Amino acid sequence: MKYIINSVKVGTVGDEFKPAQGINIQALLDGGFIVEESTDKPKKSPTIKKEPKE
Amino acid sequence: MATTTYLSNLSALTVNSVSLVDQCTGIVFTQLREALDKTTLADTGRTYTGGLYNNECTMTLFQSYAASETYQTLASVVGSETTVVATVVEGAVTKVFTLTGCYLESMPVINGALGELSTVDLTFTGGALSVS
Repeated sequence: MKYIINSVKVGTVGDEFKPAQGINIQALLDGGFIVEESTDKPKKSPTIKKEPKE
Repeated sequence: MATTTYLSNLSALTVNSVSLVDQCTGIVFTQLREALDKTTLADTGRTYTGGLYNNECTMTLFQSYAASETYQTLASVVGSETTVVATVVEGAVTKVFTLTGCYLESMPVINGALGELSTVDLTFTGGALSVS
């Protein structure tokens, strides 16, 4: 999980937010100053095999 | 006699990583170490030694309920620990005062009177003060 800046009051919008020690992350999320971005890779869709030629 | 003078303009102020320098009208950072009385009968006056640090930061901010401003920044911080960073510049010298892990106990949510701009006074207590 990483955090993305959502307000110019915190930094450049769109940049990754790396919290310093003691920062209340939940308060920043509640206020909409940053947003969570999942780093989980999307699952691959199942590949469909072509029908074998007869 | 003072050899240098300093105009108390903050160049940066963040509370919980959010810049509030454009709302701040006054700030006091206090480095405080509690005095422990170590006076004995052999002394002729009180003597003290340093105990725990109990640093404090007080500030006055204009109240604003707009997005990303005073109220929205601080409402979720009340009752929890946070970090306050104040940067001052005097000529070629820059000092960054960081109070890490300080506690915000309360925040006035309405403080208004007829014909004046609303302000809120905040006190952050405790935490570790570092200067760089």
